[in-house]
Amino acid sequence: MVGASAGATGSLPRLARLPETGPSAPRVAPPALLEAAVVTHGLIAPEYWRLVLDAPAIARTVEPGQFAMLTVARGEESWPVLPRPMAIYGWDRAGGRIEIVYRVVGEGTRRLTRWSCGDRIVTVGPLGRGFVLLPAAQRIVLLGRGIGTCSLTALAGVAAARGIAVHALVSARHSDALVGGEAYRAAGAVEVREVVDTDGSSGVGPVGAWLAENCRTGVDQIYACGSDRLLRLALEMARATGTGVQVSLEAHMACGLGFCHGCATGHPGLVEESPLVCRDGPVFRHLPSAPVA
Amino acid sequence: MSTPPPDLSIELGSLALRNPIMPASGCFGPELGDVVDLERLGAMVTKTVFAEPRSGNPAHRLAETYAGMLNSVGIPSRGAEAFIAELLPRYRTWSPPLIVSIGGLTIAAYLEIAARLAGVAGIAAFEVNVSCPNLEAGGLEIGAVPEVVEAVVRGVVERVDVPVIVKLTPNVTSIAAIARAAEAGGATAITAVNALMGMAIDGRTRRTRTGTPTAGFTGPAIKPVALRCVWQVAQAVAIPVIGVGGIATVDDVLEFLLAGASAVQVGSATFTRPDTMLRIVTALETRLADDGVASVRDLIGALEPGPSAHDLMPAQAG
Repeated sequence: MVGASAGATGSLPRLARLPETGPSAPRVAPPALLEAAVVTHGLIAPEYWRLVLDAPAIARTVEPGQFAMLTVARGEESWPVLPRPMAIYGWDRAGGRIEIVYRVVGEGTRRLTRWSCGDRIVTVGPLGRGFVLLPAAQRIVLLGRGIGTCSLTALAGVAAARGIAVHALVSARHSDALVGGEAYRAAGAVEVREVVDTDGSSGVGPVGAWLAENCRTGVDQIYACGSDRLLRLALEMARATGTGVQVSLEAHMACGLGFCHGCATGHPGLVEESPLVCRDGPVFRHLPSAPVA
Repeated sequence: MSTPPPDLSIELGSLALRNPIMPASGCFGPELGDVVDLERLGAMVTKTVFAEPRSGNPAHRLAETYAGMLNSVGIPSRGAEAFIAELLPRYRTWSPPLIVSIGGLTIAAYLEIAARLAGVAGIAAFEVNVSCPNLEAGGLEIGAVPEVVEAVVRGVVERVDVPVIVKLTPNVTSIAAIARAAEAGGATAITAVNALMGMAIDGRTRRTRTGTPTAGFTGPAIKPVALRCVWQVAQAVAIPVIGVGGIATVDDVLEFLLAGASAVQVGSATFTRPDTMLRIVTALETRLADDGVASVRDLIGALEPGPSAHDLMPAQAG
């Protein structure tokens, strides 16, 4: 989940909130507002930056799939007006640090690159309802494309630590844009498959075949972020095999807390507003019986 | 010798506020209380409540612009009953007076929501949002026609027993004429102004950047327009004015007070930094103390005639 860019979400299938209670409910702690000091900040690949913040109040309770709002305006500046929602890539609870990997896609993220060590960024988090690992899960598949993979990396670590076999697909336009593979390997994923558009390996055919092979041998849940195409593949597989799918959505946001209603997911019905990405998500579940658009 | 701290309290008719800082409707909710102390606000203002549920606009609802932002949220509302049952109790966790923003798409709809919320405990005042499209007049804003504004305000005032504030749209030919109509209808105060009508287009995709072609333009970029509106309204009516539009700092607040505002609302700046209102309350107290101003009320409409000396061209030496 990263808010700087978002494709039209109107054509996405109907998705539901994760449960409020029980073993499949995400853990949600109240968010904190803090001025987080920049610990490390630098380019890790063309267009991709890694930012480590000293943010103990966030690091203490953050769960995989949650995000933080980072104010882009500096000092007393009153614009850029909108803060940027950023997936939390990883964290160090004891050290009180959170890690964010973002891609420069526009003016906001370009300005974000100018923060240097010791600067303090107004940060709110952890926000949203993150991914859930089912209690009996033994094997999961993670499907991430581009910067979308950054929502999934933390999940791999938590899953592997619980003895769950993690199979991760990292998709990108070209090899320079592959992010997250290292994090997956460090987390202990049993398989990390990196695919790119330039050699055709990221196409629906090869990726679909890989996913089908994985699902044939038993997958407890599929997690997706960053690509409508990957999500559609996951949903097809879900319909065929009954495997549950959780997806993290992205949207432009203003408050991140749920009161501005700026991040509704799609075309709403006549009366009921569609779910908000910040408050109801960013992670939603797909019910295998729900119709696929 | 110690001087007492400056007096930040102000009055909007019978409504007494401990300080003049409150949120703008739509840029505030009980969720903000998770990260900042809402007790320090002068008042709280809800998102606009409609009588019946409505879903709001399709995505995308937000776009960043130069020194501002666009929103096409479209005021989703869960309706009067859900507001009373679920949202109102959450607001009542905090003590600052609660101003409930109400809206409608016909004159009758305004009277309906006013009637449904009349007498409900915990509502200190209503703010009538007249920037909604009037479905009986081809979508022309309710707030664009003086006679319609006067009828809406009079009808709401007749139905409720708390102060009625009217929030004006800037998208009109003469905001002074609309303000006079609101005053004639019995308004206690006027809020000026709502979002400017704006638009953003992505040149690469040849599509608008928001889900509806036009959207509400807010943020620091609109401050000069809002300030002008507040000044014009303050000249036109005798009732108090609440200034809103691009306010992000204590300096902005002082400018709106001088232009004639008795209080101010902070909107988009709360998105930039969730604690902006609290920063302003603290800074306002410090600033008044530093400047030797005993009461914030001393600044209301205290604009001096003529331009600032800094803006004058230096005299040419012989």
